[in-house]
Amino acid sequence: MKGVSLAPGDYIHFKSQVPLHKIPLLWSNYYVGFYENSDHGIAECCSGCAWNLPNSIGTKQWRYYDFGPKVVSPLICLPGIAGTADIYYKQIMSLSMKGYRVISVDIPQVWNHQEWIQSFEKFLDVINVHHIHLYGTSLGGFLAQLFAQHRPRRVKSLILSNAFLERRSFAAAMPWAPIVGWSPSFLLKRYVLTGIRDGPHEPFIADSVDFVVSQVETLSRDDLASRLTLTVDTATVEPLLLSDSFITIMDEVEKTKGKALSDSSIVDMVLYMGLKTNDYSAIPQQLKEQLSERYPGARRAYLKTGGDFPFLSRPDEVNLHLQLHLRQVGVEARPDLVQSIPKGGTGGSPSKENDKKKDPDDQPKDNGGNPESTSEESQLPLSSEIHSLDDQLLSDAKICSMDHEDAIILMQSQYTVVNRILQSACELFIFSLLPIYV
Amino acid sequence: MKFTQQYKATIGADFVTKELQIDDRDVTLQIWDTAGQERFQSLGVAFYRGADCCVLVYDVNVMKSFDSLDNWHEEFLKQANPTDPRTFPFILLGNKIDVDGGNTRVVSEKKAKDWCASKENIPYFETSAKEDINVDAAFHCIAKTALANEREQDIYFQGIPDAVNETEQRGGCAC
Repeated sequence: MKGVSLAPGDYIHFKSQVPLHKIPLLWSNYYVGFYENSDHGIAECCSGCAWNLPNSIGTKQWRYYDFGPKVVSPLICLPGIAGTADIYYKQIMSLSMKGYRVISVDIPQVWNHQEWIQSFEKFLDVINVHHIHLYGTSLGGFLAQLFAQHRPRRVKSLILSNAFLERRSFAAAMPWAPIVGWSPSFLLKRYVLTGIRDGPHEPFIADSVDFVVSQVETLSRDDLASRLTLTVDTATVEPLLLSDSFITIMDEVEKTKGKALSDSSIVDMVLYMGLKTNDYSAIPQQLKEQLSERYPGARRAYLKTGGDFPFLSRPDEVNLHLQLHLRQVGVEARPDLVQSIPKGGTGGSPSKENDKKKDPDDQPKDNGGNPESTSEESQLPLSSEIHSLDDQLLSDAKICSMDHEDAIILMQSQYTVVNRILQSACELFIFSLLPIYV
Repeated sequence: MKFTQQYKATIGADFVTKELQIDDRDVTLQIWDTAGQERFQSLGVAFYRGADCCVLVYDVNVMKSFDSLDNWHEEFLKQANPTDPRTFPFILLGNKIDVDGGNTRVVSEKKAKDWCASKENIPYFETSAKEDINVDAAFHCIAKTALANEREQDIYFQGIPDAVNETEQRGGCAC
């Protein structure tokens, strides 16, 4: 990972202290976005066929951090298109030290909102979490609301940042949405990257952009494609059962109404700019206002500055608001259960702490209610792609040995083979067509 | 903002947002209220930083609340660490002037104004939150002061009008 040398010191410290977890994505209707026949009744599959495909390895999984006392109901951070679980590292470090439990996830490869809801629910079941508080930024805010709408008993409160109620206006502005899934990786990345480097930034914002850019580099083509597909999903957030008083809307205050992207600022929009949509400038503000109208009783937390990623550029203020929100909705921190993080590890080798790693497949142990075990559970070595590949192979192997529930994945593996071939052919084809679109 | 009789202790710190119109511009005030009881340690000092104005409130009927203003003033400057502490805008409110028709009052207007004069001429308002006396005027002044301060501070985005402010409210009294 070439980003490591540029990584900020506190991030290196974070990586050395907080284990990354990975679990396979159990509900993986992988190609449902392209072929709407996911329920072909193939009841059996060989255990090996799909797992050797290089592209299917290391992608279909939940990748997440989970830190802080397990007895506290967690704050779960959901990133936007360009984000990964890592972008919330400052929240994880700060809030966990104060006795809160923070989980941050990568949006996994799901291709529509139903899949998202089912997949996320299953994820929560697997990590043994029932009641949650969601902090969603941009696309993550949209997904948080959808989940709150469809699983009202689980979601106890929401914090939304740069979030929207519906994405349809974007779908219309994105004529080549249908081929997003087939566009090559470099092209998707280029759109994201050229966009977010836009404009003059204050130094701390520039740093946050750099960090996110380094994270975008780690995303696969399929990651980006699935998120884009989710973005143009026609789902709309319906009124929630959740009372407004359990919602906080945290936004950077708009400096000038209707001003173009650099300030109203969401990476998602940048993406559309990259996609040659015109006249988008009023959209974010309009959609933000729509959100405020939907939740008139929600608390409004304003950030003066912060750019696209205030949780990175203005962590103190964001953490303060998160903490106030959690306090407001009755989450009690347990500072007495905070494990003491050894000092002096900054930048050093994390290997000592990671030696306790029990099982490379990273299947989370069921340790709900046992706060002491946090640091010991399932640690992954840092920054080793080879390792994570190995891990993935191992965990995939483990899926194959699981029972009927996971047959869903196995059933699809045959499609996967065919689709892979089809897809590479199409990719070449589309790629040659792209200049016409762009 | 409406005054409610119901007393709710401020836990650490909390904020409310209020929208005002100043010179035809929409201004959003984010008003932080820290507890007089000084229990906001756990929240750190993030809400001090970036403040555009600090409102000190004391109870005209309680001498101790007036006496502690010096401490609060000093403490704020220490925590917020503004670029120029001497010009950072403060406003002083003498609250609860309605109580018992003013008979229980122990801090005179002159005394308060003298204190303000000794601190770079801080604007002073006598208010009653309960009777809604002077509250709007005070907040209008707060917003204007903060707005002016914000403009001076804005070195990165000159030319972009700022429609936003954050004020801080700290009370020597817990109301």
